[in-house]
Amino acid sequence: MSHVLGQVEDLREQCREALAKIGSLAALQEERVRFLGKKGEITRLLRMLGTLSPEERPRVGSTVNELRDEMEMAFEAAKMRLEVLEAEKEEERGRLDVTLPCRGRGWGSFHPVVQVMHEVIDVFLGLGYSVALGPEIEDDFHNFEALNIPSYHPARDMQDTFYVEGNRLLRTHTSPVQVRSMLRWGAPLRIICPGKVFRRDSDPTHSPMFHQLEGLLVDRDVSIADLKGSLEAFAKAMFGPEVKARYRASYFPFTEPSMEMDVSCVACGGKNPSCRICKGSGWLEISGLGMVHPNVLRAGGIDPTVYNGFAWGMGLDRIALLKYDVRDLRFFFDGDVTFLSRGGMR
Amino acid sequence: MLVSLNWLKELIRIPAGVDEIARRLTMTGCEVEEIRRPGEKLRDVFIGKVLSLEPHPTREGLQVARVDYGGGQKTCTTAAPNVAVGKLFPYAPPGGVLADGTVLGVRDFDGVLSEGMLLSAEELGIPDVEVEFGLLALPEDAPRGEDCIAWLGLDDVILDVSITPNRGDLLSLVGIARELYGILPGTELLPLEVPALPEGPWPIPFEGITLEDEGCPAYSLGLIRNVRIGPSPVRSRVRVSLCGMRPISNVVDATNLAMLFWGQPLHAFDLDRLPARHIAVRAAEKGETITTLDGKERALEEEDLLITSGGVAVGLAGVMGGANSEISDDTATVVLESASFDRVRIGRTSRRMGLHSEAAFRYARGVDRTKALPALAMAMAYMRDFAGGELCGAPLVAGDPREPHRTASLRASTLRTYLMSADMDKASATLERFGFSEVRERREEAARTFAVPAARLDVSIEEDLVEEVARVEGYDTVPVRIPPHLYASASLTTLMTALRRLRESAMGRGFVEMITYSFVAPEDLRILRFPEEDRRGNPIAVVNPIAADQSVMRTSLLPGLLKALLRNLRGGFRGPIRMFEQGKVFLRTDGADFSGDGHEEPFYLGGIVFPGRDRRFADDEDFFSVKADVVALCEACAVRPEFVQAEEPFGHKGRTARIRINGKDAGYLLALKPLIGSALDLGAPLYAFEIDLESLVGQVSYQFTEPMRYPAIYRDVSLLVPKATPAAVVEAEMRRFAGDFLWDVRLFDVYEGEGIPEGHRSLAFSVAYRSAERTLSDEEIEGIHGALRSGLAARGYTLR
Repeated sequence: MSHVLGQVEDLREQCREALAKIGSLAALQEERVRFLGKKGEITRLLRMLGTLSPEERPRVGSTVNELRDEMEMAFEAAKMRLEVLEAEKEEERGRLDVTLPCRGRGWGSFHPVVQVMHEVIDVFLGLGYSVALGPEIEDDFHNFEALNIPSYHPARDMQDTFYVEGNRLLRTHTSPVQVRSMLRWGAPLRIICPGKVFRRDSDPTHSPMFHQLEGLLVDRDVSIADLKGSLEAFAKAMFGPEVKARYRASYFPFTEPSMEMDVSCVACGGKNPSCRICKGSGWLEISGLGMVHPNVLRAGGIDPTVYNGFAWGMGLDRIALLKYDVRDLRFFFDGDVTFLSRGGMR
Repeated sequence: MLVSLNWLKELIRIPAGVDEIARRLTMTGCEVEEIRRPGEKLRDVFIGKVLSLEPHPTREGLQVARVDYGGGQKTCTTAAPNVAVGKLFPYAPPGGVLADGTVLGVRDFDGVLSEGMLLSAEELGIPDVEVEFGLLALPEDAPRGEDCIAWLGLDDVILDVSITPNRGDLLSLVGIARELYGILPGTELLPLEVPALPEGPWPIPFEGITLEDEGCPAYSLGLIRNVRIGPSPVRSRVRVSLCGMRPISNVVDATNLAMLFWGQPLHAFDLDRLPARHIAVRAAEKGETITTLDGKERALEEEDLLITSGGVAVGLAGVMGGANSEISDDTATVVLESASFDRVRIGRTSRRMGLHSEAAFRYARGVDRTKALPALAMAMAYMRDFAGGELCGAPLVAGDPREPHRTASLRASTLRTYLMSADMDKASATLERFGFSEVRERREEAARTFAVPAARLDVSIEEDLVEEVARVEGYDTVPVRIPPHLYASASLTTLMTALRRLRESAMGRGFVEMITYSFVAPEDLRILRFPEEDRRGNPIAVVNPIAADQSVMRTSLLPGLLKALLRNLRGGFRGPIRMFEQGKVFLRTDGADFSGDGHEEPFYLGGIVFPGRDRRFADDEDFFSVKADVVALCEACAVRPEFVQAEEPFGHKGRTARIRINGKDAGYLLALKPLIGSALDLGAPLYAFEIDLESLVGQVSYQFTEPMRYPAIYRDVSLLVPKATPAAVVEAEMRRFAGDFLWDVRLFDVYEGEGIPEGHRSLAFSVAYRSAERTLSDEEIEGIHGALRSGLAARGYTLR
């Protein structure tokens, strides 16, 4: 009996050694035949059972069977391991240089002025102002007369106007949309009017075409406090919660009282006397604003003894200049791809 | 408006430094743009007297002067022709500094040591003040040895104040003084001394003044005899110059100084050159002309006001005098006009003629009538002092030189609404410092009425009073509140919603967002070869363009994008470019005459795709890759576009599609006409598209179906189709014959060539059938697909 059991132990050891050496599925198959095949070592041991006494036979038999099961599991495990190894060898042959450039197109790029326009719209939309749009070729009534700027008014000198055929003009501000909105919807009214405007002017801070966003609120008992509230909410959303605002008295024919809003310099916060952005003043002019002049309400078909309101206008291009630290307004409209994609290759 | 602080100090005592004055003015509505210190760099300039003069021993033209300048005597050389013994000139000894910063020292001129310098006007930084070539001559009574910088008034500080168009009153020293009194607490008004006007009748015959037009409510004339025209005294010339005007002559400077002081324009006529001893103010007649002081002949309109004499125009009222009656070097008798004119009329005339004289500028912004006589008195006194003029006779006055009495009321409730607080007593105090006076007999519990000062032509309604109160108090003191009126939800508009979806989709597909000018050059449109009848070739013209390449309104986004592309290519850009822009185009709606409304301005989305000149880096673009962009953009707005073979004047004959959305034309997709591409030297094909946003707006609503639980069954169909038949037509036919279980038809192969008859191509489609309720059986599929095949065969297609 013991000679059979001794061979079981020998065989287990042999199998272990063989499996440790195997490096390929083909070799594995050969060894499997050697140990577990029809003419293999296990079969040979089982045949030897016949030489044992009937008492020994079951115990030795079950030991051999255990060995066989153990071997089959070991071979199966080795097979799985080798399969993975062989697949990975194949992957290794397909190795890529991941630093090669990408194929196809990437993300494009936004235009700073359009981007700013949508950001500003979102701020005011969140406050409850709806968007209103109007024509860019306007008439004298909507662009001037209805805004309390009659033809002789010296304030017309404030805005150099482009005229087009048919005695029309390119709107010099987005304010005509106020008039159109009042005439169309009446009071109460809460609107913002973004869009292109045109003036005969061209230098690093003036472009003959630029973008404004105008706001108008008409209701009962409207206060300057409400105007400040709206614009300071905007300033904080746009330039950060620490931004400060100040108001200077000013003059616009369509508002009374009129003022201008400055915000603390976004670049230096008022701390750099040689700041390029605020020229050391610490303040940046951001918006012209005021309480709607009763004549404008009247021209818009609204009774100024019942309603009042406020309006403001701001240059979106200027905000974009500040926000993206761009030096010359005209860069925005040159269509230079390198500039617009912020120096990128595409 | 340039404000001399030295001059201002003759009117008010201000308890603040110049920076505080400037800050206050800026915060209350008059932005101080600059603080100038004209004599800032000058150091050690004295009033020097030339004691002796001798020629330089070797240098021709150079003289050696001995100068007494108070601090002793010095020797210096000069080449000035007007140097003379006994005369006074500015002198700077060694160590003195000129206006340009030059520090003077001792220089050796061929053995003569020259200490410091006798100075010219230019070296003092006031070139306008020079009246003769050479040194700046000082009068005999100038205090020898004194500080010349202070004596000339070059120690002045000048504020450059930007005056808004409503505040004509601030275009004067008295106005600025009054304003500062109102905005700076503690400021004291000094007594204002107005020279007395002469009295009695004129010693010469003069028929008087006739006012024939209500545009001139008041007109006065002063008489000054025996004037000797010459330069004004040097210190007056300096003052005129520091206030931004050019010194001209004693008579003209006198009128300008009075105008700078009072804001009242004045005009001097040479009596002997007036056609008659009479002045009439009337409206111009159509066709009449006048030659103004600047020598230009100007055509007049009925709205223009004229000063006439003997029926002849001698002045364009309030704008500019006539050349025929102007002061000349031999003028002896001056009649001096100080008048009030309708600001609207003067404004119109001045705008129409583009003549923005100091006078017109002030009249158009409002000059109140009460300034006319004091200004006249001041100018006459100056003419006496500067030109030896003899003031004789009381000025002639026609019309009413008083301002109509005006009042404005302020209610506490209004103040509270606007400012959230209402201190009426404080408001009254503020207004009174601006010269308003409360009409106490009309005081009510919650409202006060104020007489408006004559100068404040800008104040008429309650809101104007609110502004006066608020700007002094400061808007920063008004609380901040989110408007309680913002209670309703806000809308972005369907257009803006579509714009945003498109914009983000385009950027996701690699497009660079552009803004190009709304105006283009006519040539930019011409290269697109629009035929006569195409309105895109007939743009709306800008009447007064800034440049020829911005002279017509764009009718398409393509020219701007093309121009941007070309600029990039010229700049050496080689890589692929995809650009898009959203914006309006401007199209005529009623033919060429552009009458009535005449135009429409649809919002377009436009894009161009350029694979790049450098093939090594070129994107793999073709018509269909760009078509995929267009489809994706439309789908971002929940729209599926159709493409129909079409033509555009600037499109490749065989590669141009009309984009159709919901059965309507919505734009184009094309390869640029190769002729245009080579004319522009593009060096690679260019794809372009434009879509009218109208067709994409408001379409955003998606519909979902149930998930499909049962598998689709696929069959292929391959057909021989005449080349002229579009694939989309074949596909539509297949959909017609495929029955209710058709789920999808997809083209997977197009083949022409060997084995395909001439003029034909083979199209292969994969057709998917599917039911939502069950798995379709093979028999069913055979039946349905068989019906499709026979349907197609019956339509004349050859199935392969």
